[in-house]
Amino acid sequence: MTSARPLWQPLRHCQRHGNLLAQARKFHQARPISSSTVASAPHPQQSQTTSSSDYDPPSPPPPLNNNNHNNNQPPPKPKKPLTPDQQAFLSSALRVNQAGELAATLIYTAQTPPVVAREPHLRPLMRHMYDQEAGHLATFNSLIARHRVRPTALYPLWSALATGLGWATGVMGREAAMACTEAVETEIGGHYNAQIRRLLEIVSEWEAEGYDVGNEFRDLIGTLRRIRDEELEHLDHAVEHDAKKAEPHWLLTGVIRAGCRGAIWVSERV
Amino acid sequence: MTRPAATAPVLTRSIATSPNRPTSRRKYQRYNALQTRPRCSHQPRLSAISRRRYHSHDHPAPAGPFTPAEAALLSAAYHHVPSHGFTPESLALGARDAGLLDISPSILRDGAFSLIRWHLHTQRASLAGKAEKLAAAEKDKPMTVAEKVEALTWERLKGNVEAGIVGRWQEALAIMAQPSYVPTSVKELAQLADEIVYLAGDVSVDPSWYTKRASLSAIYAAAELFQTTDQSPEFRETRAFLRRRLDEASQAGGAMRSIGEWIGFNAGAAVNVLRSKGVRI
Repeated sequence: MTSARPLWQPLRHCQRHGNLLAQARKFHQARPISSSTVASAPHPQQSQTTSSSDYDPPSPPPPLNNNNHNNNQPPPKPKKPLTPDQQAFLSSALRVNQAGELAATLIYTAQTPPVVAREPHLRPLMRHMYDQEAGHLATFNSLIARHRVRPTALYPLWSALATGLGWATGVMGREAAMACTEAVETEIGGHYNAQIRRLLEIVSEWEAEGYDVGNEFRDLIGTLRRIRDEELEHLDHAVEHDAKKAEPHWLLTGVIRAGCRGAIWVSERV
Repeated sequence: MTRPAATAPVLTRSIATSPNRPTSRRKYQRYNALQTRPRCSHQPRLSAISRRRYHSHDHPAPAGPFTPAEAALLSAAYHHVPSHGFTPESLALGARDAGLLDISPSILRDGAFSLIRWHLHTQRASLAGKAEKLAAAEKDKPMTVAEKVEALTWERLKGNVEAGIVGRWQEALAIMAQPSYVPTSVKELAQLADEIVYLAGDVSVDPSWYTKRASLSAIYAAAELFQTTDQSPEFRETRAFLRRRLDEASQAGGAMRSIGEWIGFNAGAAVNVLRSKGVRI
């Protein structure tokens, strides 16, 4: 409990969940997004795109900050329009992420007073986790507005449920509150990983076909990775602070994780 | 983009607009076989692609639900709307103007409704340019979001006047109210409201996202109906009507917000009083 290092340093010693993070890291090391693969890719096959003929590619993006680029700069490559499938995936992904971060901020808001009243030394940790979640929520709010995605219609429902969950686990005590964080962040980490995987598939498909990948997508993947890492850091904090000692640990985490999965399923659609 | 649509009722509709209209079911089948485009290569219905989806700034999807052939025909026919209305006659005249065969309007599955859709789509698409002009004109005096919403809605209503279709719009509303066209018409209205709110720079992503678009849709539909009977110079009455409705909506929104704040404040105060009494909540 009294750890020597500051609270906001990621703790990587947790066996089980350290694995999740390590797996994610390994996966992404195997498939980096680099423009060197773009440079070596074959030329775009126009016959593959039936719809790119009637749209003018926008002005080329600012040059990418890569050092391993050859001297003979290739001309700006066209960007492939998103297919309806990809658009549907991206809108449901952003919608569910926004709903999730909204719920996370509300959970921490509701948990903090009862938890801190009993264990004042947890105040900086709760504050730190809340601040990060609030930052994530602001990120997704701006992404949703920028990309004109419909926010979830069940916003009031998620707000009420998240506040209720946070308050209930907070009143049950520190261990239960941490078990709640553990359950939520485990689900969320896996969820973000699935999204990043899908985005990397889209990007590598474009690169294989010789299309340019806009900064929009690089930034989106970078943002998701950063947020995923921060969520898994919360998971480490929760386990560090005795999440496993919550009384019916299997029941608590099982119920919350099932609830999370259900909420994700619904938010992707509504 | 090229999702095959279920086309059985649709084909019969396109036939209905063509001059050599067969009468029996048997003849329909033969007639279908003669159509140059196979059944499943029809454009997807507007509803299939008009769902509000991720809007990529780097990788934009091609704009517009119309094929180049349809666009050529419809843009030519659009000029005949002020004189001939949203009718098959306008389409026939447009086909001639565009140098196409007289049979060519039958590529439009929805007949005259396609012309209405063309009007709605082109007017909506032109709003982006008008918003840019608006932003450039108001450099020194920044407008609020509500003012921009009003200005853009008025620009859209002025688009009806500039296209000269105000006198024909009641006919169009009658066609749009036909049951098979209602979903597309409502979606167009929703897209228009979304476009106006987006171009006005509104970034709210909470439940007010829905209420803003719904109220603007209702106000716009009412103002457009008002416009069809407005005889005042430069549609002054329509403008005043629009302004009154938007003011009412913002007042109602303000009242709802105040009530919400009051409830939230009191709930928070009640919880804090209980906590101060030592209740562990």
